[in-house]
Amino acid sequence: MRTKPATLLTATMITAATLTLSLLPPPAQAQEFRGPVRIVVPFAPGGTSDILARHIAPRLSDEIGQPVIVENKAGAGGNIGADFVAKAAPNGHTLLLSDLTALLAAPSVLSGISYDIEKDLEPVTMVSYSPYVLGVAQRHSFPSFDELVEYSRENPGGLSVATSGVGANNHITSERLSHGLDLDWNIIAYRGGSDATRAVVSGETDMLLNGTTASLPFALSGQMTPLAVTGEERLPELPDTPTFRELGLPGEMDGTYQAILITAGSPPEIIDRLHRALVEILDEEEMRGRIAEQGGIATPSSSREEVSEWMKAQKSELASFIEESQLAER
Amino acid sequence: MELFDNILLGFSVAFTLDNLLYCALGVTIGMFIGVIPGVGHLAAISMLLPLTFYVPPTTALVMLAGIYYGAQYGGSTASILLNLPGTPASAVVCLDGYPMAQNGRGGVALLMTTLASFVGSFITVFVLAAFAPPLAAFAVSFNSADYFSMMLLGLVAAAILVQGSPAKGAAAVIIGLILGMVGTDVNTGVQRYTFGFSFLYDGINIVAIAMGIFGIAEVIANVGKIKGAQNDHKITLRSLIPTAQDLKQSIMPMLRGTGIGTGIGILPGTGTSIASFLAYAIEKRVSRDPKKFGKGAIEGITAPESANNAAAQSAFIPTLTLGIPGDAVMALMLGALLIHGIAPGPNVITDNPGLFWGLVVSFLIGNVLLLILNIPLVGVWVRLLKIPYPLLYPSIILFIAIGVYSINYSHLDIVLVAFFGLVGCLLLVLGFEPAPLLLGYILGPMIEENFRRTLLISRGDMMVFLERPVSATFLALCLFLLIWSIHSSSKERRIRKRIESSR
Repeated sequence: MRTKPATLLTATMITAATLTLSLLPPPAQAQEFRGPVRIVVPFAPGGTSDILARHIAPRLSDEIGQPVIVENKAGAGGNIGADFVAKAAPNGHTLLLSDLTALLAAPSVLSGISYDIEKDLEPVTMVSYSPYVLGVAQRHSFPSFDELVEYSRENPGGLSVATSGVGANNHITSERLSHGLDLDWNIIAYRGGSDATRAVVSGETDMLLNGTTASLPFALSGQMTPLAVTGEERLPELPDTPTFRELGLPGEMDGTYQAILITAGSPPEIIDRLHRALVEILDEEEMRGRIAEQGGIATPSSSREEVSEWMKAQKSELASFIEESQLAER
Repeated sequence: MELFDNILLGFSVAFTLDNLLYCALGVTIGMFIGVIPGVGHLAAISMLLPLTFYVPPTTALVMLAGIYYGAQYGGSTASILLNLPGTPASAVVCLDGYPMAQNGRGGVALLMTTLASFVGSFITVFVLAAFAPPLAAFAVSFNSADYFSMMLLGLVAAAILVQGSPAKGAAAVIIGLILGMVGTDVNTGVQRYTFGFSFLYDGINIVAIAMGIFGIAEVIANVGKIKGAQNDHKITLRSLIPTAQDLKQSIMPMLRGTGIGTGIGILPGTGTSIASFLAYAIEKRVSRDPKKFGKGAIEGITAPESANNAAAQSAFIPTLTLGIPGDAVMALMLGALLIHGIAPGPNVITDNPGLFWGLVVSFLIGNVLLLILNIPLVGVWVRLLKIPYPLLYPSIILFIAIGVYSINYSHLDIVLVAFFGLVGCLLLVLGFEPAPLLLGYILGPMIEENFRRTLLISRGDMMVFLERPVSATFLALCLFLLIWSIHSSSKERRIRKRIESSR
């Protein structure tokens, strides 16, 4: 289709006008969004990503003056929903709120991932970080992580670790831990986090790295022994459990990161607007409290580039670890 | 008396206006969702979960739970009247329910399944109130070897479901097992038979298979067969009332079904479909006259109905006492708690006694409501058959399409239903039965997953299956059942031979 000079002129003028408007403070901003904004959650309702999205949606709606709808597109470890957003129309109206690590590892672990998280999606902001708790089955009585390591060295292959599934974040973290310490752990995949929890509570497997919301009730009731936690600081609920860093383990012993991404190629002014609005929302006292209720710490990003760089570094690190350990071929 | 105090607490929570209202709302939605083929409680609960942001957690759970067990009531309606299951769990009710309807006993079948549902649920709620913590502790002691052996028993039981040729029955089970392999392998993450389609990564949607091979196949099979209204039996009040004989024959099956359902339901990851299939198989096995099964035996509908309702109710045991959800629906229920900042775990009952006991009492109220709601509706449902084919069946197909779409919002699932509809037709023409296929599909992935997991943990030592008492018991039962089947079929053959030779 050929563009008439007149149309081109109008388009230029509109663009110029929009750009000028976007430089102005608030009032005009509602015009950036034409119709409802969707937050796609690539997991089933009731999970961490879903709950965060549903807490954020009404606040975002207040900010942008448009309805914000949460939509669940579960399946393939979050990749079906991510694929959907990656291929959505780049108009800035389709967002993805997801656990990032699983998506970043997917290309190295799963075959047939048909989108590129770096090229097809753009970060808007980080949302939250949740540390992991290493819980050990009740029948073991290791007083500390060091004893667990010692036992593992004496009994190669004698201990098993449950994970939420192949390629899941706690699977990769468990592999990293056993590789880093050069231990022979038997890593067993389950159908999701609660199935893995069941396995450790029943004593079928010996330990599990899992998010705080899922782990704390079991750790506090004594059905699992917490031996270590990830992150910078100890958890207030488990003051006697050391962090992996305190134990001298590498910083990559991490947790789960929730972030909001958007279809690549969306108008930059809209992405910026979303970034500013979301960062503000995540900084609010009430939202921090709600995120803490879900076992997380709110981590709004100071800039979008910061998230891009972090994602890029994480992705290549994961890819090289997975290749090195030949995780994918096993 | 602690239990008495707790129940009183439960009543005080459940009998608030809000909770009663949401309970009634939940069970009504659930029941209708169960009736409509293809539209499942999972989709309904997912859609309504966000609503729970605005109501207190107890009220939210009362409603969501109502949808869940309410759907178990309605599921058998379409199985009986139209030979297409409202939910996968009620697929097995087609086997005897539909013949009953064809004999003009559709109304009786509907009333009896309502009664069976009520019995199964009600008894299990009392079990839940009295024994939840010890039962949960027992359930969680099951490990992968035990799961494997139990599922294997289920597979052996599948042979009992077969009505026609045993060879074709076995073939149907194997086709089901193969279909169950589609998707991402849990143990290794390798994709099998997905042909690069991302909608197959998590396996073939069970609703697509159930609705395809039962529902669509049935609709197509009826094209041309039925000209006008398909049922000429007059519907009188009399034809709806079960005889004393019906009731007498159903008491034991209902109790056995309840027992099986409760036992299966407390095990995370099993589900209501296995409960109803197993209950049917056991009923046929213990019956003095197994030949009447498949021809409208009342035990064939009441036992599985009690079982799936009992399983739906007892699935709350591990969910609420341990915070370990048995299936996707139970995970949603826990999500409703998480939304309100209640971390599900082993202390939920002690930390939130009002929530737990209020919910338990709401189960009692909900089930009584369902009973009252369902009985007058039987007359309405039976009249469905008066709707002429050209109107009724296209609407059914529409509902199936909506239902399947609502699970993943994926249009490809609708294509999948259509595909399995064709497969179902082919199977029907060739004389293969859909029920064993469906059971094979449900059990296959669990058998494989648990077998391989057991061996991964034991580092390849097969003896673990025999060392664990629970697993060993199930394996012994498998062996017993196999020997019995061979023995009884050879005895039958001998008798037949004798009759032939004496002629």
